[in-house]
Amino acid sequence: MSVVKRPSQKAKWYIPGILTGLKITMKHMLFNLTHRKEMMTINYPEEKYQYSDRFKGNHILTVKKDGSLRCTACMLCATYCPAECISIIAAEHDDPAVEKFPISYEIDILRCVFCGFCEEACPVDAIRMGPEHQTAAIAGERFIYDITQLAYRPENKGGVLSKVDDEERHRRGL
Amino acid sequence: MPKVTINGKSIDVEAGTSVIKAAQLLDIPIAHYCWHEGLSVAGACRMCLIEVEKNPKLQIACNLPVTEGMIVHTDNEKVRDAVKWSLDFHLINHPLDCPICDQAGECKLQDYYMNYGLYNPEMAERKQKKNKAVSLGDRVVLDQERCILCSRCVRFTNEVTKTYELGIFNRGDRSVLSTFENRPLNNNYSLNTVDICPVGALTSKDFRFKQRVWFLKDFDSVCNGCSTGCNVKISYNNNGVFRVRPRVNKEINGFWMCDEGRDVYKFVNREYRLDQVVERRDDFAGASVKGKPVALALQEIGHKIKDSQKLAVVVTAQYTVEEYEAFFELFSGKLKSTKFYVWVNNEETFESFDGLLLRGDKNPNTNGLIKTMKKFGIKAGLWKDFEAAVVKNEFQLAVVAAPENQNVYPELNSRLATFEKLEDVVWLSSCVNDRFKNFRWQIPMKSYVEKSGTFINFKGVEQKIKASVKIIPDAIDLIQLSAGLSESIGVAR
Amino acid sequence: MEIKLLTEHYDKPEFVTLKGYQKLGGYEALKKAFKMKPEDIVTEVKNSGLRGRGGAGFSTGMKWSFLPKNNEPRFLLCNADEGEPGTFKDRLMMERAPHQLIEGMIISSFAIQSKKSYIYIRGEYMKSYKIVEKALQEAYDAGLLGKNILGSGFDHDMDVYRGAGAYIVGEETALISSLEGKKGQPKLKPPFPAVQGYLRKPTIVNNVETLAAVTWIITHGAAEYKKIGTEKSAGTKVFSVSGNINKPGVYEVALGYPFKDFLQNECGGMKAGFNFKALIPGGSSCPVLNAEEAMKSTLDYESMGQLGSMLGSGGVIIIDDKQCMVDLLNVLMNFYHHESCGQCTPCREGTGWLNKITGSMLSGRAKMEDVALLDKIARHMLGTTICALSDAAAMPVMSFVTKFKEEFEFYAKERKSKVRGEMVYAESHH
Repeated sequence: MSVVKRPSQKAKWYIPGILTGLKITMKHMLFNLTHRKEMMTINYPEEKYQYSDRFKGNHILTVKKDGSLRCTACMLCATYCPAECISIIAAEHDDPAVEKFPISYEIDILRCVFCGFCEEACPVDAIRMGPEHQTAAIAGERFIYDITQLAYRPENKGGVLSKVDDEERHRRGL
Repeated sequence: MPKVTINGKSIDVEAGTSVIKAAQLLDIPIAHYCWHEGLSVAGACRMCLIEVEKNPKLQIACNLPVTEGMIVHTDNEKVRDAVKWSLDFHLINHPLDCPICDQAGECKLQDYYMNYGLYNPEMAERKQKKNKAVSLGDRVVLDQERCILCSRCVRFTNEVTKTYELGIFNRGDRSVLSTFENRPLNNNYSLNTVDICPVGALTSKDFRFKQRVWFLKDFDSVCNGCSTGCNVKISYNNNGVFRVRPRVNKEINGFWMCDEGRDVYKFVNREYRLDQVVERRDDFAGASVKGKPVALALQEIGHKIKDSQKLAVVVTAQYTVEEYEAFFELFSGKLKSTKFYVWVNNEETFESFDGLLLRGDKNPNTNGLIKTMKKFGIKAGLWKDFEAAVVKNEFQLAVVAAPENQNVYPELNSRLATFEKLEDVVWLSSCVNDRFKNFRWQIPMKSYVEKSGTFINFKGVEQKIKASVKIIPDAIDLIQLSAGLSESIGVAR
Repeated sequence: MEIKLLTEHYDKPEFVTLKGYQKLGGYEALKKAFKMKPEDIVTEVKNSGLRGRGGAGFSTGMKWSFLPKNNEPRFLLCNADEGEPGTFKDRLMMERAPHQLIEGMIISSFAIQSKKSYIYIRGEYMKSYKIVEKALQEAYDAGLLGKNILGSGFDHDMDVYRGAGAYIVGEETALISSLEGKKGQPKLKPPFPAVQGYLRKPTIVNNVETLAAVTWIITHGAAEYKKIGTEKSAGTKVFSVSGNINKPGVYEVALGYPFKDFLQNECGGMKAGFNFKALIPGGSSCPVLNAEEAMKSTLDYESMGQLGSMLGSGGVIIIDDKQCMVDLLNVLMNFYHHESCGQCTPCREGTGWLNKITGSMLSGRAKMEDVALLDKIARHMLGTTICALSDAAAMPVMSFVTKFKEEFEFYAKERKSKVRGEMVYAESHH
């Protein structure tokens, strides 16, 4: 059942309402014209907003000191991911100290819900949610991010260093 | 028959039964690492500590035979504390490898930590360092740090295979598991050590890093690698089948299975399979054409069989009893064909046996085939008869129930030439092979994980298998084939 | 006061040779034994109240009577793998009186009707090994071993076997494993060695001193032996004493002898400048006694048991006030960590853990909680393993930490020894 509510008598006084709205608009316009620096809006593609460090944007795979991937291919992120957008193929590393590493790590960014669970699940700080969120591309397959995109894209400037260091752990006898 | 009471539940067991076994019969879990039903008692892990009334000291359940009127507690405060500490002792030098350890998810250390542990570690000292990723042989990799030295694998090689490759060297917490010099772990049962390893110390090179175990599901089946018919469980997920492990059946295979049998999952995966009908078309200059619907293909084959006067039927022992029945019902019962041939593989080693499980007859259902042929009164010829008949140009058309597992048919490639002499061959196969393109028809068949039926092993034990996965949607079995053919030939079933 | 039943002639060099031994009344007991029935010898030993001198103190006659009554071949093994820190009596007994041991072994073998016996000598005891081997050759040459010994119709062969240097092989089942050619690791009990031992045949394992005492008992009779010592601890015991005392060495005294007198008379009192602080009465695995407890103790199984310690193998270690208990415990833990066979988890991992904690204490990294943790670990190692090595490592820890708690807490808090002052190790890590 739906109840139709008739417009009240008061609503007929729309002209003062319009004027009130215009007043606010004019106020902001004048303010912005005089205070360009404090303006709320930005000129989006040219100017970009500075997000907080906690912002959950596109994923970053971190690297070790030697520049190789920190990821050990434990697949905990893939297990935890509610959107099932992470697919990893693991392989045996030549170095027995590393043992396991991903030869393929793909995130289907269109399926991703940016919940950040992967970041939480990771035991070695190998995946983080980065600051970028503008994910435009010209073809569907470009939305499946691979290792090159996730770890070594230009924005990462050669790779983001992981906080977990194997050498340090070995030195402490862990 | 002494009577024992465990946690208030009583049971009569045979004299000499250990408490841990009695508890198993009562479905009371007792934590253990070193004890295994198929091996001798080591008593080394000290996890199965239990309290026996009137005995001040905790006892290990694995080496304690039950006595009349024994009253056992496995779940009181004292026992839980002792087990917690035993577990802690196991874990103090255990590396935090779970993220890269294949055992994670089915690891007893993890399981018992959830049941008995859940403490904050007090060990603040440096851990003992040992070697990682040591190759023990062609199939097994060892991580000495993860090893808890339960000696199950050592006892397995000493008691079951009697090959004595493994040993525990050095003393104290420097002890390591290793192979003896120049004696790699290469026996045909080596992967059982991986199964019985309660932690991730021994891992299979084949399965290593392929999947995390929690992504896999298991189903029960029977190995089709040889006529022993070991009971197995097969792990699979959407990406295919990944591993085969033994299932306990004391009548057939006990606790074990051979390494050869663990490879028989490989041919069922998509990349090795024939996934659609392939037809050699003379009007296309002998080119192969793929993708004809199976029903249509069967209709055409039916017409061919109806017209043909010179029909031969060749079978291998790789199909189930039910399939043979439908197949012979059509060809022997309805069509009254008389030319049946059985293709026997590995003729020289057919009767051999390795003393444990593996047999030379590498078909799961030789007895089933013989039984069904007897039922239909079929007198089948052997390969040499078929070859002679082909040379004499007796046949124009052959229906071949080809092997599902090509690996156990080493003579396959040399025998294909005989078939190639025939004008039309209906090749029923689940696998791909370049030379099959010379046959008129290739029909995709189901593999043993995709169909239900019965295998009869060398002893005559009938074992059921169940369709559990779908890998090739278009594949059919002999029952569907026979039904399709009878319809097009026009004989009522 | 010393009562020298076994060690009477130890100061005479000719006692080592067969001739000298026979001149001083040797092998008379054997002749006497051959006139007795085997079961009578067992009864005689049982009546004498002789208890195993290797450490556990189990009645020897009782142990022999556990053998199944059948015709299966059986073995007698002499446990001369004397590895317990602080104990060195068997070495002296083998070096000074090998024939006493051999005679005792032949009598014992006759009593249990064993045709083959072995003397398992600790690998490091090269001198003892050579002496015993030479004595054995003499005995064979004199017809005291081999076929039809002394015309009694009893055949017996004896062999010497050298260990490879593992402490754990002093445990009887480990000794059997080692003798079988396997890694020296204790075996699960049951089955006990008396039922299924060496080569899965009934086996008796006895200490050197026990077997030597059998000779005396047969010569002089059980009643005579029982007169010495206390009611439950009959006879004499050979003690090896070490520490900062005036006369360290090996002494044989009657059981039940007050420790106070033993320290004053036999040991000649403490060295000048050292005061008595603590006592380990029976080799390093026994719980330590503080001065007060030690002074009221008597040297026998019961008294030590009541005080919460053990008489063990008679390796008396006297600790003076210049010794830091933390250092001492670290030395002991080094030893047990090194010697754990690695079979059972609590011992394998626990000894290592304890050693790491004492080590970090010495290098000044330990925290206050570690003192309690030492005790906690030891308590959970107690009685959870196949053999007693885990207990042997745990009991000293528990007694050290309880009785000398202030020294440990001082170390953890001040990062230096209460007794010595400075630290032993510099910081090695970090």
